[in-house]
Parts: sequence; structure tokens; C-alpha cells
Amino acid sequence: MQTHLVPGARFVDPKVLSRVKDLELLARAVVDGFINGLHRAPYFGASIDFAEHRGYVPGDDIRRVDWRLYARTDRYFVKQYEADTNANFAVLLDVSKSMGFASQGVSKLEYAKFLAACLAYLSQRQRDRVGIVTFDEEVVAHVPPSAKHFNILLHTLDQAVAQRQGRLVANLRLMAEHFKRRSIVALISDLYENPEDLLDALKPYSFLGNDLVVFHVLDPAEIEFPYRDASRFQDLETGEEVPVIPEVFAEQYRKMMQEHIESIRSKCAESRIDYVLLNTSKPLDEALFAYLGNRERLMRVR
Amino acid sequence: MSFLAPLFLMGLAVAAIPVFVHLIQRERKDVIEFPSLMFIRRIPYQSVERRRIHNWWLLALRLAALALIVAAFARPFFKVDPVRAAASALGARDVVILLDRSASMGYGDHWTRAQNEARQIVSGLHGDDRATLVLFERNAEEAVRLTSDAGSLRAAIANAKVSSGSTRFAPALRLAQSLLSRSDRPRKEAYLISDFQRSGWERQEEIRLPEGATIAPVSVAEPATTGVAVTSVNLQRASFSGQERVTISAGISNKGSDAAHPRVSLEIDGRPVAAQDVALTPHGTGSVTFEPVTVAESNMRGVIRAGTDPMPKDNDFYFVLSPSRPMSVLVINGEGADRTAGLYLSTVFELAKAPPMKSEVVTAARLTPALLTGRSLVVLNDTSTLSTVSAELLKSFVERGGGLLIALGDRSPVSGEWPLLPGTLGAPVDRLSVHGGTLGYVDYSHPIFEEFKDPRSGNFSNMRFLKYRGLAPGPTDHVLARYDDGGTALVERKVGTGRVIALTSTLDGSWNDAPTHGMFLPLMHQVARYLAQYQDPEPWHLVGRMLDISAPIGSVVREGQATTRLGAGVVVSPSGAQVTLGSNGVRSIELAEQGFYSVRLSGSGDRRPYEVAVNIDPVESDLTSLPAAEFLAAATNRPAAVQAGQSLEPPAVTPVDLEKKQSIWWFLLVGGLVALFAESVLANRKSRLLGFGTRQGRQAPAAG
Repeated sequence: MQTHLVPGARFVDPKVLSRVKDLELLARAVVDGFINGLHRAPYFGASIDFAEHRGYVPGDDIRRVDWRLYARTDRYFVKQYEADTNANFAVLLDVSKSMGFASQGVSKLEYAKFLAACLAYLSQRQRDRVGIVTFDEEVVAHVPPSAKHFNILLHTLDQAVAQRQGRLVANLRLMAEHFKRRSIVALISDLYENPEDLLDALKPYSFLGNDLVVFHVLDPAEIEFPYRDASRFQDLETGEEVPVIPEVFAEQYRKMMQEHIESIRSKCAESRIDYVLLNTSKPLDEALFAYLGNRERLMRVR
Repeated sequence: MSFLAPLFLMGLAVAAIPVFVHLIQRERKDVIEFPSLMFIRRIPYQSVERRRIHNWWLLALRLAALALIVAAFARPFFKVDPVRAAASALGARDVVILLDRSASMGYGDHWTRAQNEARQIVSGLHGDDRATLVLFERNAEEAVRLTSDAGSLRAAIANAKVSSGSTRFAPALRLAQSLLSRSDRPRKEAYLISDFQRSGWERQEEIRLPEGATIAPVSVAEPATTGVAVTSVNLQRASFSGQERVTISAGISNKGSDAAHPRVSLEIDGRPVAAQDVALTPHGTGSVTFEPVTVAESNMRGVIRAGTDPMPKDNDFYFVLSPSRPMSVLVINGEGADRTAGLYLSTVFELAKAPPMKSEVVTAARLTPALLTGRSLVVLNDTSTLSTVSAELLKSFVERGGGLLIALGDRSPVSGEWPLLPGTLGAPVDRLSVHGGTLGYVDYSHPIFEEFKDPRSGNFSNMRFLKYRGLAPGPTDHVLARYDDGGTALVERKVGTGRVIALTSTLDGSWNDAPTHGMFLPLMHQVARYLAQYQDPEPWHLVGRMLDISAPIGSVVREGQATTRLGAGVVVSPSGAQVTLGSNGVRSIELAEQGFYSVRLSGSGDRRPYEVAVNIDPVESDLTSLPAAEFLAAATNRPAAVQAGQSLEPPAVTPVDLEKKQSIWWFLLVGGLVALFAESVLANRKSRLLGFGTRQGRQAPAAG
């Protein structure tokens, strides 16, 4: 199925993507479809493009002091440049068992893989260093960001399977220590955690200067809860079973889910963390388009 | 309410199934995998919502359907009073209670038990039931006729008493048959309460109960009975020193299975005269002979008493002792007749023994009223015309009950001027030309000839009648015999209470040879007894016999104690009840009580009354009983099963009968099915309203 939410755009149905086994080809098909050119690095660094001045603070390299301005103002200012140099791009992919859920064709994990591949491809095309960490109850695979790690990343994605319980918050806290160099960090998960705990775990990434983007991947069944029959619902991760009467539960569930999403969204916004809700029934490129468009606007504001 | 199959009620547990399904098993068996139950867990599963019933009607219908079907299988029925249930189930009934009150019911407590049984039947009457109480012994009578009033029935039962009558079932059963035949009620029942004496039933009597009627025997008989009974008394008369002495013997019977040694006593006029002990073997008999007693007076009361036992009625035997008295006959010869004219007659009367007859021969001219006093019979032996006075005397004599025999001959008047002569006298008829005629016709149905009617009991055809007087009988006269030429030989006319018989030939042997024939003597004795209205004095009678009062009156008249047979008087029964005799009173009475009946005639002064001794039928002493059911089967000619098993209680109504009658289960089952149907309709409608898809649509919505 193709949708055209954005005029002129052509999006690829996730079910079609799921038939493409080669992740690189997939990423290329998706990314090349809507990106023409490069995006600017959102970070300041050693670049020839001047960005702005800022006050000198002890410790700053005195070579960056703008002496001319000092001559005019008698104050020390340091020149800042657009960092258009290569950046680190890291994907934190949740491969817990809940990510294996699929109510219609594409599981959340597959969808996340497509997304990760596309993002990595995009970054790789920008000469960024790409890396990935997959985790469930512990870190499953860790590919440090590197300009040469794109293929390894794709391989890691290919190998990722949802088979164990997840410990998102604990793993996030653990992995935050490894991102000391400012990176673009994309967290792809279904975020079944307490929003407060989740944000507590995400904040360190921001504090360390990382640009964190949270991709909240959900199956439409998780959002809409379309069940009718009274059944026993089994938790994919714990195996726990609970009798459920959708007739009674549905409304309450949807409300709680929306509250959960809104809570995460608002808390991310408060912490200047990008939050993107992805519905696995929606085309992947549409999600990327929306996200990158949003980033573009953000860059301009900055 | 009760249940025929209460175990089925355990099935009510299935009513919990809808609730169980609602509370426990509402979830589908297939498990839906879900990424996380984080939110679901927050929603309390065991919430009020979970337990709240949304579709009350649906749940109620399901529960009702299950409960009704289970209840139907348990076969419920309402427990009601079985008597009322039976009455209402089977309809009103007419009941005939046949209560045996024969003398044998006086044995031990038979009568009390019989009354109690009858009361119990009356207590079993309900609603529109009606009952008739029939008391029976030899005869049956309706004591209370077809009433629903239990009070009157109980009163009649209480007032009923054991009689002295003998048992006969046939009249009672016929009465029951008649009563039940007239009944229009759906149920017709008869209860026969008796000791079922074997002697009370004669095989040839068959009763046909109407269709649908049942008869239930209620026996109060005991398997073993004891008792001694005086069954008979024999009186041997003998003359001693000019006085008549009677030797009294009594027959004693032991009805028990043990030997008995009762003391047998004789009472005359209430005074003990003699007593003897007698040894009786089990079921044996014996006799006791007392010393002869002199019978000086008429109508002496004699009683034989033997021992004491549960049935006192047959321990006493009543009889009357009277001296034997000859019948007095007056023979009136015609004027001029020779002395031998009445010889044959005198000889005939002298030879009579039962009763002895005493004759006196006079001429017509000497007839006076005194000569007629105490006479039972007057013979006009070829007399000529009587004087008016004599004729009136004779007429008066006959009208009072006397007997008159007229022998016609040459001296008899040519014209019939005698008002007593039965017919019109004609001229003599001479049969010499044919060497005498014979009797061509004899009315053997008449008491005179009755004894001779059997073959070889006598032949009158040998008598030759050479001559006879023509006699044309009147329209009311009865011709008893005719000659072979059709002439009248013997004619009877009744005048007043007396009887007149005219013989158209002589009794002296001149016109016929009858006196020389052997049949002459018994024939003349029969004629004399008939005309004198003589009856053998019976020392006792059995209960149930009708007593013609002409017998005691005739006896009194013969003995000269009364001058007329139209005497008025009273009969006093053993219990003291009085019955008036006479022209306006009864002519006969039934001897229903055991003991002495006294017949007192007016004008008899202070003379002893005429006594009649009455005893119960000896067969009543035999208490051998028939098996009740077998008896009824034989009597009603129906299978014994019809009567067998009947009890005093109304037909037992079993729970099965009640349940079958009420058939509540059928309604419950239909109700259950209707509830199921309604449930289906309601459930489908709910499903459509909830918009279940094709997959869910197949599943009925839960009640909760």
C-alpha cells in the first residue's frame, strides 16, 4: 500500500520493504528516494564556516580567540565554526522480545531494522561514522561508530532477533558511559518503561552532548487495541498471562497508551530530546521524511 | 412440593455454568501474545466491572432454562392429602357398607370390631361421597340410605345391635348390587364387613355387580374359635299314671378345638329342674337326657343352658312344653240313621294320633250350642234338613273358625237351603250301570291331597262310587275332586274364618266302597286336620320364621279358652316389644328374637298365654369362615383380583400417581424450552447490536 501524505513524495509500504532482504539495498532505496544532497552537521567544530562568537572561558584554546574583536571591544571572544566534519552516528536498537510483536506483517523489530539501516545509510553517505548497539536484557552486540562499520552494522542488524526480555532503562544507563564523544544517538525501542525512569536514563546522553533521537516504534495493535474477544493475553517477554475482556479494557488501554506516549513526548521535549512515534503500519520513508524535515527546522532555529 | 426423582436436582448445579463461564471461562482458550502487559496489568481484572452483569435478562433466561429443565427431570409434584387426592383424582363415589349383624357376630368382640371398621369407612368419606348402611343377617335392610351425612351414619352404626338372625350373604349382596346399579357416581364401592360364615353362602347364589363397581371384604373372623352350643332338644312323651310325662334330651355341640366339660341345666318356667355335666371332645357332640317331667299345664317355658363362652346366644335353647290335647270332633247323623252310620267315621277318628282325635256322635235334633264348644270339626253325616237354630249354630261355629264336613246322601235335602253348602244340591246320580264311577280329577295342590301327590303316595282311582248327589258349586267354591263323569265329588267353601267341605257321596260305605280302601283313613285325617285348621304344635321355632297367628288362636279355640278365631290380642316379644293382633292388627309376625314370644288373646282371662319359643339357627354356632376374597370372587363371579387387595383406606395414591396426574414436568420442560428459545433470540439480537464481525458473530455474547 502506498500513501502520499506529503505531496510529491513516494513512500514504500513496510510490507514491501520486508520483502527486501538486503538491508543496504533497502536503505538505499528508501533514502535515495527523498534525499537529494547533504544535510548539515548540527554540531560546532573545526570548520571553515564561522558560526558565532562566545565569551572566552579559561581552558579555551587561545588560538581560537578572535584578536580582532578583542582589539575592538577589549574583551576575549572565541570564534565558533559550523562542525561539518564527520560525526558519530550510533543506533541503540532494542531487540527485546516485545519488539518481535507483529499484528500485521511487519514486526516492530523488522521495522526498527529498516529504520536503523536507513539512518545508518544516510549517515554513511555523509561520511559519518556509524555504529550500533543492540540490547535486550543485556547488550547483545556493540559496533563502535566507524566509517568502516557500515557493513558490520548491517550485519549486526541482520543477526538481531527478539528472543529475550528487555531491560531498557538499565541498558541505557550502562551504555551512556560509552558515548563520551558527542554523537548522534538514535534510540529505537517500544519504550515499555516508566516515562520518568526512561527520561532519567536518557538525560545523561544529552548532558554528554549527544544528540539523542528517540524512535518510539509501536505496532498499530498496541495503539488501537482492536481486540474484541475476551481472551488471555500473554506478555511476550515474561510469558505472564492475564485474562482480558477487551470490551472493558480497550478504552482504558488506549487512554493509558496515549497518556504514556504523551508523557514520553513531553518529557523528551523538556529535555530537548527528539521524539518520533513510529507506527509500523505507516511507510518507513514517510517517517524518515517527517523526522528529517523536523530536524531541518530545528537546525534553522539553532 | 416433592420430587419423584430428587437426584436429578443435583443437575441444578449446571445453573452455575453460565455464571462460571461469565466469571471464569469467559476468556477464549487461545492466548493472544502481546508485547507488554504493562498497561493491562494496571487495569484491575477482578474489578466490579468484571463482575457486573450487563445482560441480566440473558443470564436470567439461561438460568431459568436450566433450572426448569432440571426441575422437569426431577418430576415434581405437589404433596396433597392422599385421601383428598384420591377423591379428586377418581371422582365422587357411592359406598355401600354391608354390616353383618347376624347372631354369630355376637362372638367375642366381633361386633365391636365390625362397628369400628364401619366407622373407619365412614371416616374415609370425603367431598361428595355418599354412603348407604345396610344391616343384614337373614335379610338385608337399609339402615341409612345414600347420604353424605357421616353423623347419621355413625349414629346408625352405634345404634345397630347384633340380632338373632342367621347369616345370609345373598340378600345383602343383591341389595348392594341394586344400590350400586342405580348409582350415577364414577366410583361405586361396597364393603362387606362380616365374619364370613361358611353357612351364610349358598353356591347357587350369584351376584352380578354393575360394571366398575368394586366390593371389598372386611373380615372380623378369627382363625380359631371356642364355644359350646345347644343344638337341639328332643321331647319324648309318655303316659304315666294318667298323666303325661315328657323326657327331655338336649344335643350339645363343642365348636372349639379343645375338649369341653360344660354343665347343662334344665329350667322349666324359670325354675332349675335338673343339671348334668357332659364331656365333649374337640369339635365333638354329645347329648344330655334329663329325668322325665310331668306336663300338667299348657305352654310351660323350658330352657336348656350349657356353659358359658364367647358366644352366649347358642348356649341357651328355648322350648315350650304343653300337654298333648286331642282334636274334638262332633259327628251329626241324620234322623233315622242306624247306629252304624257313623261307625267308619268313629273308627277313623279313634285311630288318629297326630293329633289324637276324639269324636262324639249325635243326631241333628240334639244339637245344642254346648255341644259345639271346644269342637274343632263338625261332620254332618247324611243329615236331613237342619232346623233353623241348628243351622245358625253351625254357621256361627264355622264363621268363628270351625270346620264342617258335609257328607251328602239320600237324606240330604233336595233343595239347597243350607247357606253353608258349597253349591246347589241336585238329584242323586246313579253310576250302577257302569259298576260305579271313579275319581277322575283330584286337585293335588290342595292341602288335603298334597301329601298324596307324589308317585306311589296313594291311588284314589280304585275307589268305586256307585252313587252321588249332584252338586253345582258356586262361583266362589273350589272343586277339589271330580268323578270320572265330571260330577263334583269334593267342594270347598270358606265361610268366615272357617272352612266347609262337601262330599257328594256318603261316608258309611253305602254309596261307595271308599271306607274299605287304604287311602280312606289318611284322606279323612287330612280332611279333618285341614278343616280344623290344625297345625302341629312346635316346641320351638327358629329365628326368622313367620308366625301365623291363626295357629295360637286355633289352639286357644280348641282348648276352649276362646270362642272365636277373630280374637284380638297382643304379641309380646322376648325384648318386651308388643305387637297388636286382631282385625286391625297384624295377621302374622316375624320371629326375629331369640326367647319366648307370648301371645295374649283378649277374653282368655288369666289363663297362660300361648307361648312360642324361638331359637337361633344352629348353623350360626358354626363359626367356620370362608376366605373373604375367595368368597367374594365366587359370589360376584369376578376374578379375585378385583376384590383382592382392597382395604378400608381409600385407594392408595402413590407419588407416581400424583406426579402422573399433575404432570408438572411437562409444563416445566416446555417452559425451559421457551426460555432457551427466548435466550437464543435475545443473544442473537445482542450480538447484532454489538456489531460482532463474522468471526465474533459466531460467538454469543456473554451475559456479563
